[in-house]
Amino acid sequence: MRTADLELAARCRAGDVDAFEELYRQHARRLFSLVLRMIGSADDAEDLLQEVFLQAHRKLAGFRGESTLGTWLYRLTMNHCLDHLRGRQAKMSRATDSLDDEDAAEPAARAPVVPSAISRMDLERAIDTLPEGCKAAFLLHDVEGFEHREIAEILGISDGTSKSQVHKARMKLRVILSR
Amino acid sequence: MNCDIYDGLLDDYVDGARASDRPGDERLAVFESHLAGCARCQALVADFTSIRRTASALEEHLPSPRLWTKIASSIEEEQQRPWWQRPLGNAFSAWVPISVAASLAVLVAGATWVALRHASADAVQQAAATPADSAGVPAEQHYEQAIAGLQRLAESQNEALDPETRAVLKQNLAVLDRAISESRAALADEPTSALAQESLLDALDTKVALLQDTVALASDTGDVSNDAAGAAKELNQ
Repeated sequence: MRTADLELAARCRAGDVDAFEELYRQHARRLFSLVLRMIGSADDAEDLLQEVFLQAHRKLAGFRGESTLGTWLYRLTMNHCLDHLRGRQAKMSRATDSLDDEDAAEPAARAPVVPSAISRMDLERAIDTLPEGCKAAFLLHDVEGFEHREIAEILGISDGTSKSQVHKARMKLRVILSR
Repeated sequence: MNCDIYDGLLDDYVDGARASDRPGDERLAVFESHLAGCARCQALVADFTSIRRTASALEEHLPSPRLWTKIASSIEEEQQRPWWQRPLGNAFSAWVPISVAASLAVLVAGATWVALRHASADAVQQAAATPADSAGVPAEQHYEQAIAGLQRLAESQNEALDPETRAVLKQNLAVLDRAISESRAALADEPTSALAQESLLDALDTKVALLQDTVALASDTGDVSNDAAGAAKELNQ
């Protein structure tokens, strides 16, 4: 896998546009879904993904195959998403953080409060309300299927932080979906 | 009992970890014993499992088909820009090719002249038959004027560039000056030679391009006055 990644990266660096398109086709759908869920607007998601791939094209010279190309692309993408969110919504985030803390109160439930068959639309709406940190970890873990060590690499956090962020997201979603 | 101490293990359990699969992990076995008698943790496991199952089945969203076209054309447009206008990341590595390009220009000019000197008398005669001198002198004067103006600009804005960049530029200019001197000497020996004339003009042209790059780079750095950048454009026209 790593060899294939290195070969593809080498072809891209050599100016092979077909190779770069191959890289795009391999990852664009999953990355676009992730970006859309992170920032919420399809137009912004496309602009951001375009910038991600342009930056990937510029930075491929620095790809050493220490991680997979996919993980490397996810890292670039999440950095862009978090920069975008922090730039656009710094004040809003501060405001919602305090609300998040209030919302985080766990229902004193001794029985399941979430329907066993959650509608995808309800879950999408609930995910949209998560704070950016735990949303990123949740999307990467529960939606994209990454392991905590991979999420740690993508987000530049520890494995333990990744686990606690996913737990936090699940708790918040449980509260939202129980309403 | 404080169930919070099991939170991490609860998530592991939801993600599929079982004590039976991890014989050495006592903590998971302890949590499973706790889970059997704890309604709160059972409710959390059920809810988290439901959330996880639905999350893993969320549909992919598709970018519009034109996104790749936009990316491909942006890459193409970026690659067609002069190196100094490309985004950072390519800019530093661009100094290596610029240096190589300048050196190659000198080598080509030198090789052309050496070839000329050793060419057969017929070839020289043929080359000399072309009307080089009709446009040669005015063209050289034009280059001289452009170079003088650009050099003044480049020297006045030199401080805007970092020391490493200045050193590379200085080295490349020195190489080009040597090539110009050698071409002039060759042309003095054989004033009717079209190849000698061409070598000189090539070297002058390369020097103009390098000085234009220098001024534009300083301008891009943001420390150059609009007057200077404008003057560079005028010289370019």
